[in-house]
Amino acid sequence: METMSSSISSSPFDQNLGLLDSIGEEGIDEIIQSWKGFCSSTASLLNGNGDLSVGSEFVAHVHSLCKYGLDSLAKDHFLCALEETFERNGSSNFWQHFDAYSHVSARELENNQIQVAGIEQVLCKSLEEISLEKHYQEKCLLMLAHALQSHQESVLEGRPDSNVERVYLFSKYQLMVSSVLMTTLPRHFPEILHWYFKEKLEELSKIMSGDSEDSDECQDRDEMDLDEKSKLLRRSGEMEIDACYQSKKFSENNKLVKNIGKVVSDLRSLGFTSMTEDAYASAIFLLLKAKVHDLAGDDYRNSVLESIKEWIHDVPLQFLNALLSYLGDLVAYDRPSSGLKSPFASHPTAHSPGIDTSSQGIIRWKLRLEYFAYETLQDLRIAKLFEIIVDYPDSSPAIEDLKQCLEYTGQHSKLVDSFISALRYRLLTAGASTNDILHQYVSTIKALRTIDPAGVFLEAVGEPIRDYLRRRKDTIKCIVTLLTDGSGGNTNGSGNPGDSLLEELNRDEENQENIGPDDDRNIDDKQAWSNTESWEPDPVEADPQKGSRNGRKVDILGMIVGIIGSKDQLVNEYRVMLAEKLLNRTDYDIDAEIRTLELLKIHFGESSMQKCEIMLNDLIDSKRTNTNIKATMKMSQTGTEQVETAVSLDILDATIISTNFWPPIQEEALIVPGEVDELLSDYAKRYSEIKTPRKLLWKKNLGMVKLELEFEDRAVQFTVSPVHAAIIMQFQDQNSWTAKNLAAAVGLSVDALSRRMNFWISKGIIAETQKPDSHELTFSLVDGMVDSGKSGIGGGHCEELLLGEEDGDRSVASVEDQLRKEMTVYEKFILGMLTNFGSMALERIHNTLKMFCVADPAYDKSLQQLQSFLSGLVSEEKLELRDGMYLLKNNLNEK
Amino acid sequence: MFFDRYYRWHAVASWTWDAQDETCGICRMAFDGCCPDCKLPGDDCPLIWGACNHSFHLHCILKWVNSQTPQAHCPMCRREWQFKA
Repeated sequence: METMSSSISSSPFDQNLGLLDSIGEEGIDEIIQSWKGFCSSTASLLNGNGDLSVGSEFVAHVHSLCKYGLDSLAKDHFLCALEETFERNGSSNFWQHFDAYSHVSARELENNQIQVAGIEQVLCKSLEEISLEKHYQEKCLLMLAHALQSHQESVLEGRPDSNVERVYLFSKYQLMVSSVLMTTLPRHFPEILHWYFKEKLEELSKIMSGDSEDSDECQDRDEMDLDEKSKLLRRSGEMEIDACYQSKKFSENNKLVKNIGKVVSDLRSLGFTSMTEDAYASAIFLLLKAKVHDLAGDDYRNSVLESIKEWIHDVPLQFLNALLSYLGDLVAYDRPSSGLKSPFASHPTAHSPGIDTSSQGIIRWKLRLEYFAYETLQDLRIAKLFEIIVDYPDSSPAIEDLKQCLEYTGQHSKLVDSFISALRYRLLTAGASTNDILHQYVSTIKALRTIDPAGVFLEAVGEPIRDYLRRRKDTIKCIVTLLTDGSGGNTNGSGNPGDSLLEELNRDEENQENIGPDDDRNIDDKQAWSNTESWEPDPVEADPQKGSRNGRKVDILGMIVGIIGSKDQLVNEYRVMLAEKLLNRTDYDIDAEIRTLELLKIHFGESSMQKCEIMLNDLIDSKRTNTNIKATMKMSQTGTEQVETAVSLDILDATIISTNFWPPIQEEALIVPGEVDELLSDYAKRYSEIKTPRKLLWKKNLGMVKLELEFEDRAVQFTVSPVHAAIIMQFQDQNSWTAKNLAAAVGLSVDALSRRMNFWISKGIIAETQKPDSHELTFSLVDGMVDSGKSGIGGGHCEELLLGEEDGDRSVASVEDQLRKEMTVYEKFILGMLTNFGSMALERIHNTLKMFCVADPAYDKSLQQLQSFLSGLVSEEKLELRDGMYLLKNNLNEK
Repeated sequence: MFFDRYYRWHAVASWTWDAQDETCGICRMAFDGCCPDCKLPGDDCPLIWGACNHSFHLHCILKWVNSQTPQAHCPMCRREWQFKA
């Protein structure tokens, strides 16, 4: 209780009350007098338009009021009066200036230069006015403060901290001013500020760019070494520019910056600090964004990051530096001995003669601006990443830029999301050819490998492409072609033309190996330690199941094989294609194939490529044997003076294959012309003489025949299959054949014959006629072809290569055919299983087969292979697929 | 009006060992293939006939003969092994 009352009685209010009690009649009169005087002198002072003559009277009144302890009353009244006056004279007048713009939208401002120029004038003028007003009021306030202070001094006769009163009054006043302005703030004012700064900055940037052109000229003489110097400096992060050039430029802007500085400081004193900062920050960012878009554009062949950085340094940072130093902010920060060192102090930052001291404020701005620039550029590039990757090797500067941006911003996931959706929309559609998709896939791998060497994001981006490609039938074929056949698939002109992707990969790999210190054998302890120290964890997005970064070195071939699932399938497809190619050769030149095979061996291992190697070896052996046989033939001929047959053995070459190592060969009975048949058996006889106890089995339908058909005035060369040759050679003796007879003569079925006949008919050499009385077709030679003017084969020599594929004529069974054959073994198993279980899902069938078919032949097919086989059974109406379950067709009928 | 004045025939054939069996009785691999130790068939992995007219991969029977001392027998018919002249 006691403490409470004592604390109350010690409060100033209590003391004042006590004082009031002791005032007598006289005192009250005096108080009323001086109060009236105070009020009137305050009013005249504030409205006096610079007339300070009432000053002394005012001071006297204040003193007498203070005497009675009414100083707080006086202060409050004075501040109130100030507020009223300010509201009346200052703020309302101030806002009136901007009324004209209240209905102008931002867009209109953009288009109307005159209005923008007007804004500048109005802003300056009104700021000047209101500052004057404020200045005057501050003077009055200072008078009050002085009066109060002098009173205190006389009472206490000491020197208490006299500033307290003044600081209190001024902060109160400042608060009042800004709150009055804020409460009456028109909505469009921030916009006006924004446009003002934007305009000024653009002006500044124009001066800067114009200036740099001028200086280019005057610096022609030492351009070279300056260029090098600045390049070097820029690389080291220090953007230092020639001093004289800088200061010249600086002085030119000085005036402009000073004007802006004045506006900013005026605005600040009115309490618009944050609004002003927002306005010029947003103006700077806007300008920066425009600049980035302008510089980056749609050109991916040049790196723009450096020039953007340069521009940041030249324009906005210069501006900010000038502005901050004008406002005196820099001085506050400029304490080199200060313990409050910037966290970026060690960071090499803007440091040029234009900027006297590197300050925290500027560093902060620099970082902010650069981050914004990086982010803008990154967004720009990510949006166009698809196009960039399409012309990848040319667009690598853009990729490099993007890489740097991402390192800075760390927004990789943005890239992944946007790129995947672009892929889905533009690449993974029915209209895109498998080849194009594969090329884009490879480019993507290469490009993203630059951005992200660990391949984490590549994994995410590649997945949709791989998924999509797996659903395409011709994927494997395209991949093999892409890998092995340089001239065929390479459409985008990357690398040397005619080089296969495999060659390119190999070069890549060699380069990578040369660079990377991954060689475990020859690293010493020191190296190992530094490797350990430089270890970095995987990015957060990394899939933990995929193993660590070191094990996940990006391997293009591996990623391509990953599409197919296993390398065996790829090797198998390659073998079929190789066989097809080799069997359709008319010579033994296999250098290119050997090279490809060697490259494939490096990637897939020797054992998996062994069959292919034997195939190539067969070709080499064949060449040797062929020469041998011909040599013995000549010897025996000259020795015994044999009667020459119609054709000599010279016209016959043979490829002798080891069937077990080749893909299944498609055989077809064919009766070759007698002279050829003789040659063949002669050849076989010689072979078994040389290679006893081995013998030859001819595959008469395989191989290639080069022949020349001679007409009256010209000859036409063809390279055709033996079947076609056998057919056309029948016409040598007989100009017209019925289909049946011809089929018998060459040993084909009539269907097979007429299929082959189409080739000769399309060449205009054979005509097909049908007799009206019977269904029999007759083929006859077209005579006088010259007159009929078949343009297709006009003009002397014209070599036609008939590829078997166009009419389903292949030397080798395709992979699908082989698979179907192999799977037929399991058909009984599957049908039996489904009879017992009713219906089964794909996976279950797969697993059951894996479990039970372990021997002879063991079930080794993939899920996809099984699926395609089952869908074959479905289309044969043996099975039914319902809701992902397979069931027997007849089972369904019973129900 | 028309004839084949000239042509060149490139034929395809497969070779095979002129043996009674398809597979080697020792390694059970096809004769037209090669023994487990070889990589290339044909000249590099020839067949050899015994006096009993049984044939094997040369490498296979040599291994067999060398492991059988003092006298080797044909793995098929148990007769004394002798190379066919």
